[in-house]
Amino acid sequence: MPFTALNSRMVEARIAPGQRMFSQRGAMLAYRGEVSFTPNIQGGQGGIGSMIGRRIAGEATPLMTVEGSGTVMFGHGGHHVHVVDLTGETLYVEADRLLAFDGSLDQGTMFMGSQGGVMGMVRGQVTGQGLFTTTLKGHGSAAVMAHGGVIELPITPQRPVHVDPQAYVAHRGEVRNKLSAALGWRDMVGRGSGEAFQLELSGQGTVYVQASEEKL
Amino acid sequence: MTGPVIHDVATLPADDNVNPYAFSVDLNGQWFLQKGKMIAYYGSIDFHGIGHGRLDRLIAGSFHSPLHAADWVVAEGQGKMLLADRAFDVNSYDLEDGNLTIRSGNLLAFQPSLALKQSIIPGFLTLIGTGKFVAASNGPVVFVEPPIRVDPQALVGWADCPSPCHHYDHQYLRGFLGGLRAHTGIGGASGEEHQFEFVGAGTVLLQSTEVLMPELATGAVPDEAGVPGGGGHPAQSGSQLPQLPGGLGDLQRRFGL
Repeated sequence: MPFTALNSRMVEARIAPGQRMFSQRGAMLAYRGEVSFTPNIQGGQGGIGSMIGRRIAGEATPLMTVEGSGTVMFGHGGHHVHVVDLTGETLYVEADRLLAFDGSLDQGTMFMGSQGGVMGMVRGQVTGQGLFTTTLKGHGSAAVMAHGGVIELPITPQRPVHVDPQAYVAHRGEVRNKLSAALGWRDMVGRGSGEAFQLELSGQGTVYVQASEEKL
Repeated sequence: MTGPVIHDVATLPADDNVNPYAFSVDLNGQWFLQKGKMIAYYGSIDFHGIGHGRLDRLIAGSFHSPLHAADWVVAEGQGKMLLADRAFDVNSYDLEDGNLTIRSGNLLAFQPSLALKQSIIPGFLTLIGTGKFVAASNGPVVFVEPPIRVDPQALVGWADCPSPCHHYDHQYLRGFLGGLRAHTGIGGASGEEHQFEFVGAGTVLLQSTEVLMPELATGAVPDEAGVPGGGGHPAQSGSQLPQLPGGLGDLQRRFGL
């Protein structure tokens, strides 16, 4: 796996000739060897079509292509970094939380409404994901940023996980998520618990939760 | 689960970290610290500004410049002193007959056996000698060895190696498409066009983010010919072009774009 965690906020990536890696612009801290950083107009993989798709979806975080041979250290904004190794599954994550990822992963954009229709769109608004989210699929690694440390919670069919939408970072696997609202008259009169909305994730996979309710 | 650890004067570590954000100095004599970085102390410790009365001679011995000495205080006495800086990560380092250059805002405190001097690189200070010093960084510090190229904002300091030079990556700004990119700003810049390059033997200190700690003035250097940053006339930019959106400013001129 190309990413090695140096400490909680920094990862080191090994890059070999012929490999590609995408990273958020300006996230390189240091490098050894001959490595080039080229701004990527398309905001990731694919051609002009994917680029327009990402622009419309608001998932077009400025990325750069990292190529060459050597090692690169990444870190950004003092956020904690968590390395996710994918072996064929799909990772659902917001584009601006992606610090860097392997070029071997397939990058795509998913419409939140495709999972649960209107409720999915509402869910996107509550979690701050918006109407679209980025998917990464295949074999490779991704470095995901979070405010505070990251906790991995396994999801099994018998055991769904409830997550505060603000602490949600990413999830992977065959997971269905729905927003469960526990709104009562107390919330209407401003005496709510502050936990009226929860994200319920069920199926088979993993959800990544940050130890903070602050967005990036 | 354990609750918060309660320290007293005996259990506080001697010259070691209490937690990643606070450092405990076992004071027996003098230490120099940046103003406002002491958060608590046990024992009888006096804090004096430098350059007044009997501490006047310290400037000659340890500071070598009266101009930035005003930002420093001397802690004198016996006891345990806790240092911290806005919850940034704090670390101590031992220098043994060595030299270390550090960004001025990152240095918190040092032993008087070290001499603090202004580096000829503006904004940096150099410590020379044998002793311990305490530095803060935004995120944990990572030690790397040259040859390496470093993001300017991630650099905390370097020890025992030659001063860095600038390195520019402009491969993607070459050719027709590159020129178009540089002049129109289409495609943007990767933000990694400029690094500091370290070669030779030594150690480079990096912080884990590219968010800088606030600078601390290092004092003006003499207005003399041949002194970098030493007054005189600022260099005129040779560019006649107005700054274009997405343009790289002086970089364009340097690459002849």
